[in-house]
Amino acid sequence: MNVQVEHHDGVLVAKVEGRVDSSNSQDFERQLQGAIGEEVKAVIMDLGQLAYISSAGLRVVLLVAKTLGQRNVSISLCALSDPVQSVFEISGFNRIIQIYDTQADALAAAG
Amino acid sequence: MGDRDNPDYRILVVDDEPDLERLVRQRMRRHIRRGKYGFEFAGNGVEALEVLAENQDIDIVLSDINMPKMDGLTLLQQIPEVNSDLRSVIVSAYGDMENIRTAMNRGAFDFVTKPIDFTDLEVTIERTLKHLDEWRAALASRDKLVAIQNELDVATKIQQSILPDTFPHVDGCEVYGCMQAARNVGGDFFDVIRLEGGRIGLTVADVSDKGVPAALFMMSSRTLLKGAAVGVGEPSAVLGEVNDLLNETNETSMFVTVFYGVYDPASRRLTFSNGGHNPPLVVHSDGSSEELRLTGGIALGALPGFEYGQASVELSPGDLVVFFTDGVTEAINVANEEFGLEAVQALFSESGPPSAREAAETILDAVETFAGEVPQFDDLTCMTLRIADE
Repeated sequence: MNVQVEHHDGVLVAKVEGRVDSSNSQDFERQLQGAIGEEVKAVIMDLGQLAYISSAGLRVVLLVAKTLGQRNVSISLCALSDPVQSVFEISGFNRIIQIYDTQADALAAAG
Repeated sequence: MGDRDNPDYRILVVDDEPDLERLVRQRMRRHIRRGKYGFEFAGNGVEALEVLAENQDIDIVLSDINMPKMDGLTLLQQIPEVNSDLRSVIVSAYGDMENIRTAMNRGAFDFVTKPIDFTDLEVTIERTLKHLDEWRAALASRDKLVAIQNELDVATKIQQSILPDTFPHVDGCEVYGCMQAARNVGGDFFDVIRLEGGRIGLTVADVSDKGVPAALFMMSSRTLLKGAAVGVGEPSAVLGEVNDLLNETNETSMFVTVFYGVYDPASRRLTFSNGGHNPPLVVHSDGSSEELRLTGGIALGALPGFEYGQASVELSPGDLVVFFTDGVTEAINVANEEFGLEAVQALFSESGPPSAREAAETILDAVETFAGEVPQFDDLTCMTLRIADE
């Protein structure tokens, strides 16, 4: 698992790669919390290279969404593979967090 | 083994109803004679505290709520002052969520409803004692283990102690459940709850994290679900109620995916609400199978005030419903391939569903064989409901 951070006009894009499960979810949480510590107007998590996410990983996404919500910073996800999309649909988290097909769509909505 | 004067376990029954002592001694006489349980009795909370102060070896307090001088909820608050190494079980009115919730917040381990069903009470006592034994063993070995491993050990033991190991006999169907815990995770649980009118409540759930906080979250979830199941009734309302209660105090963003269904053997109808859990599989007698539809839910603890949907399905004689957690379908082998739903379906496609127990064991065995040398990284839970053949 690896998180890479890019900035696009005050919008933070976090690209997540690999697998997130209970063995590395704490590391995932640390990396994301570190990245969103700074002033940003919106956060986009690009999950295009995410192969698998377990419920422990979902908890981190939820925690980050709640933290940002308290700061009135919007968060969205984009480019989910079919298996990852299905995890978000079954858990119902697609009802809490906006999901876009592509990073460009997410950036357009955030801008 | 204990004897009559020196029983294995001692239980204090607190109730202002004078007939209860006679009833308990009568219904529990075999256990009393064999020295398994010894009973003490108190008529209210004040008397109970006196008995506890004199008898430091009481293992379980079984207490009514409404009593003169000191009620059961106040007693719960006072118990840790005199003895911190026991577990309390509350006797509450059917569906009294308010008191069950307060009792749980004050450390009650479980509850039974009035009028007391002694078979149910025995199961509850057995489960509580099993939990207590494991808890004591974990505390005793604490110093020998590295802190973190011990914490995970305790979590696993909490988890094991709340799972049912006996299943109700219901005419026209059969229920079975089993779980194989991963070494470092404690998140899955399942429950089978007897409801009014011969119906049964079936729960399978997966908590989002591991360790002691997750295990405690799991215990709260399980007790709240059981309370709401007997009190609230409709599956969608049960999930809504528990979701709101879990959201009240949830700083850590933990959540639990829950599938809750009520099966009515009289109509063979399964009514269910899905709170973010992977959908159960229905296998028919000809070997064909399909997933139960989603009901537009979300994992519990994530979004307060959410209104859950529900759906129902009429099952046929010979049908098998498989309730499971994603540890089953997401198990991976050495080639990094997932076991997947199709592999579960393939197990029964030729021969149709076996018995409830055989089906659950077949699935867990197949996952184990598939995974081979790859360490199990998530709990595997499988609960089955098999409708009797025509």
